Amino acid sequence: MSGGRDAGSLGISLGGGGNGSASGLTIGNGDAAGGSNAGNAAPFFIPSYLRGTRYADRLEEHRRVQMAAQREKDMQAAQVAQASGGAHQTQQHQLGSSIGGHGFGGFRRSPHSSAPGSLSTSGSSANLHKLGGPAGPQSGPAAGSHRGLAHDVIERAPPSLVDDAPAPLPSRWSETDKYSGLEIVDADGLELRYTPAGKTHSDEAAAVRADHAMPRACGVYYFEVTMLSKSKEGLVGIGFSGPKVPLSRLPGWEPDSWAYHGDDGYVFCCTVSGKNYGPRFGTADVVGCGINFRTGEVFFTKNGNDLGVTFDKVKHDKLFPSVGMKRPGEHLKVNFGKDPFVFDIDGKMETQKRIIHEDIHNTSVVPLYPPAKKLGERALIHELVAQFLAHDGYVETARAFAQEVRQESKAMKDLLGNGSSTGERFLEPVEDEDAVNRQKIRAAILEGDVDKALAYTDQYYPSVLRENENIYFKLRCRKFIEMIRRCTELQIAAAAAAEGRPESFTVNPTRRHNAAATATAAANGHGAPPDDYDVFDSQMELDDHVASNGTAATNGRRGGGGASGGTMSAQPTKLELLSSAAAAGSSGGAGAGVGGGEGEDDLATLTARELHSRYSRLLAATIGYGQELKAEFAEDPRREVKRALEDTFALIAYPDARESALGHLLEEEGRVPVAEELNAAVLVSLGRCSAAALERVVGQCEVLVQEVCDEGGQGAFVNVKRDFLRG
Amino acid sequence: MSSSTVSTTTPTRHQFDRRVEEVKPSKTDMNFLVMDYLISEGYPVAASKFAAEANIKPGPAAESIEERVEIKQAICSGDIQTAIEMINELNPEILDRDHALHFSLLRLHLIELIRTSLAMPPNKTDITPALQFATEHLAPRASTNSEFLEDLERTMALLIFSPTSLTPELKALLDPTLRQQVANHVMEAILRSHGQKSEARIKDLVRLRAWLESKARDAKKDIPDSMPLGLDGEFGEAEGNGAHQGEDGVSANGNNQDGDAMVS
Repeated sequence: MSGGRDAGSLGISLGGGGNGSASGLTIGNGDAAGGSNAGNAAPFFIPSYLRGTRYADRLEEHRRVQMAAQREKDMQAAQVAQASGGAHQTQQHQLGSSIGGHGFGGFRRSPHSSAPGSLSTSGSSANLHKLGGPAGPQSGPAAGSHRGLAHDVIERAPPSLVDDAPAPLPSRWSETDKYSGLEIVDADGLELRYTPAGKTHSDEAAAVRADHAMPRACGVYYFEVTMLSKSKEGLVGIGFSGPKVPLSRLPGWEPDSWAYHGDDGYVFCCTVSGKNYGPRFGTADVVGCGINFRTGEVFFTKNGNDLGVTFDKVKHDKLFPSVGMKRPGEHLKVNFGKDPFVFDIDGKMETQKRIIHEDIHNTSVVPLYPPAKKLGERALIHELVAQFLAHDGYVETARAFAQEVRQESKAMKDLLGNGSSTGERFLEPVEDEDAVNRQKIRAAILEGDVDKALAYTDQYYPSVLRENENIYFKLRCRKFIEMIRRCTELQIAAAAAAEGRPESFTVNPTRRHNAAATATAAANGHGAPPDDYDVFDSQMELDDHVASNGTAATNGRRGGGGASGGTMSAQPTKLELLSSAAAAGSSGGAGAGVGGGEGEDDLATLTARELHSRYSRLLAATIGYGQELKAEFAEDPRREVKRALEDTFALIAYPDARESALGHLLEEEGRVPVAEELNAAVLVSLGRCSAAALERVVGQCEVLVQEVCDEGGQGAFVNVKRDFLRG
Repeated sequence: MSSSTVSTTTPTRHQFDRRVEEVKPSKTDMNFLVMDYLISEGYPVAASKFAAEANIKPGPAAESIEERVEIKQAICSGDIQTAIEMINELNPEILDRDHALHFSLLRLHLIELIRTSLAMPPNKTDITPALQFATEHLAPRASTNSEFLEDLERTMALLIFSPTSLTPELKALLDPTLRQQVANHVMEAILRSHGQKSEARIKDLVRLRAWLESKARDAKKDIPDSMPLGLDGEFGEAEGNGAHQGEDGVSANGNNQDGDAMVS
């Protein structure tokens, strides 16, 4: 993500949409909105102690969505502007995508958010057609923006999690929620000076609140104030107050306000009579104020030292950071977390988190799963894992797992003489034909053979692709990407061979490892006798025949390599190349062994010219396929479809697509979401739940965390994804 | 559960369940979670099959999996001597640094010796090996640590009582789950020594699920009375047995909009 353009759009969107609370509303309307947006709008930051929390993730997700929306608007504007000029279409795609950097990411994400509806009913994509259809052909550029708006409403599913935008963090002093005489010195709204006009009343003071309340969902909130200079008495109060507390008094003196005062070191809790607490503070001191929403405890720090808990049971809602001062000449600056803190609040947060996680660690799962009382937690996890493997069609794994668990228990069962205490009854996977079929389809996609996956799907579940057009489209796009992948590989190989460096093109070891694993996957996946391959086999023989006419060396080499499952992985490639080459009107033998895995070994033995001619033919086939694809979906009004097509086509334009801004599209990881989405659709078509129990456990956790988090409860210290899935 | 309770909570359950379904955890995360479990707990065949079928990498902890599995098998089958030798071969510091772990292994060995002697015919019972091992290896360590001493004394009591008249506490020492426990501690220690997370993530995940539910209920949150995971055995033998339903049983519950089958 780069470039000033993003920063600009961020500024605009945050300035416009970020202000939820009553007191903050005015900032955008004040001097900030009038002048330069980019400069004055609140910068995005995550205070160090909140990094990695669920709240911070939500903030970032929210920002991402806003930026994507902004980028979309920018691009549409650019499209409208360019539509009159015409011609430069490819260039524009490149531009748009490289600015975004994650153009395709948006597309790939959409399955997760928009698929569920369409999967179960197959209705939503049809609706989209209806809605989008009439608008499309009617008019040219002008309809573009209209269409975009309509689809914003329909297509944009809530961002990954179901909850709304998170409560914003305090980011600056409020321009309006501030007593007269207090002057905000800097553009960032952090520095304050007290310069009252005329003589001040003896009882009068001046306070200000931050633009937003301290969000309880943070779990802990903390900010620091640096005293830049002070009056003689140093009558400054640092703390927080509710939205209605009068600003003509120091915080702490009024109900619903709490503060630590610099002149006497007292703390005040909603009353004018304070209690002795800490040292006095003055010029150059850094005073911190923190609240733990879980315990309701408030503490202050001075110059990095924790002064201890002073208030507890502060459970009020909507508390704003606040400072007040009583004498002219006071000058201070606040840090709401954009800069590093003096006090080690990160450590304190970590301790809080550890307490909660310790508590979680010691929780019994028996209420969740009563049999665990007798069988132990282990039984629950075994069942979850076994059910997941069966549900998702990992047939071989499920079998191996059951076997290993059985072995493990055997020793102990022997010891007992009977099988009384270990209950593994559930682990035996049911032989399930569908699971085998689904695994075949998955394996095909994971090894990059989309055609095979399409063929299997048509054979076993003919209705699925018809009813899930979006998945069908993604598969077709993925096939195109796979062809480009191979083109790129061939091209690099050809270039390397031309320079007499046959090995230099070799892909990195990880890739090779993956390819090998995939080959095994294919072999394992197709546990059934390879009847299904009959049609491929004949073609392969044909291929070999053609190839052997070419180079004897190649032939011999391939014969050796094909012995261990290599044949499996070679076939699909040929099949696919056959069909694509046929589309381009060239002879079929060209692409033999061009794909991942063992095919790369073959490449090394070919001459530069052979490689180059293969490359040319494959490129022609790829472009032919691309045109076909474009023609098939050209009329599709869906924005995500258009976007995917554009991004995918932009790949062709690069000399080495892997190095381009869209290079991530070519990664093998991109196969996984497509494979999983298809698998889920098949499950739904079989009338099965698309989620395994393990996924439901995660889903329940996410929803429950939302429930127990927002009042700043213990859930604030739990981030399911980071702490429990990936941690 | 009375029918009135069900009827008032039904709408809530729908809403909650819909939110749960909307979460859609990523398959990558799920696969990672499962792989992490297979590797940490030592199921090498399943792990390599899974790496192939799901096209994912086993992760760094996979390096020690073979050794860990052998050690675990040795412990679970009662061959503590071999287990200790293998651990020391892998990394002598593991037991050097963790005295409690070392002691628990030695004590397990003592228990196995006692078990052997108890299994002999009454007139041929020979407790000499057990006694000798206890004096040589356990007593010196126990003298430095009161917890060790207590454990040792309790274990030696096995020799005094006849196997048929043991207290539940003593019986637990002969239970095979003790081997499992010690094996788990050893596994965790090995993983830690490799700089890995000592426990499979899925374990804390299920605990988190239980913890969150109890917190939400404490806070009187509006959540369904029952939140099934969708597993066969979930409600115990009484309800969950019968014919093996496989995943069909799960899906029936998952797709059933009313979901009352589980409750009523």
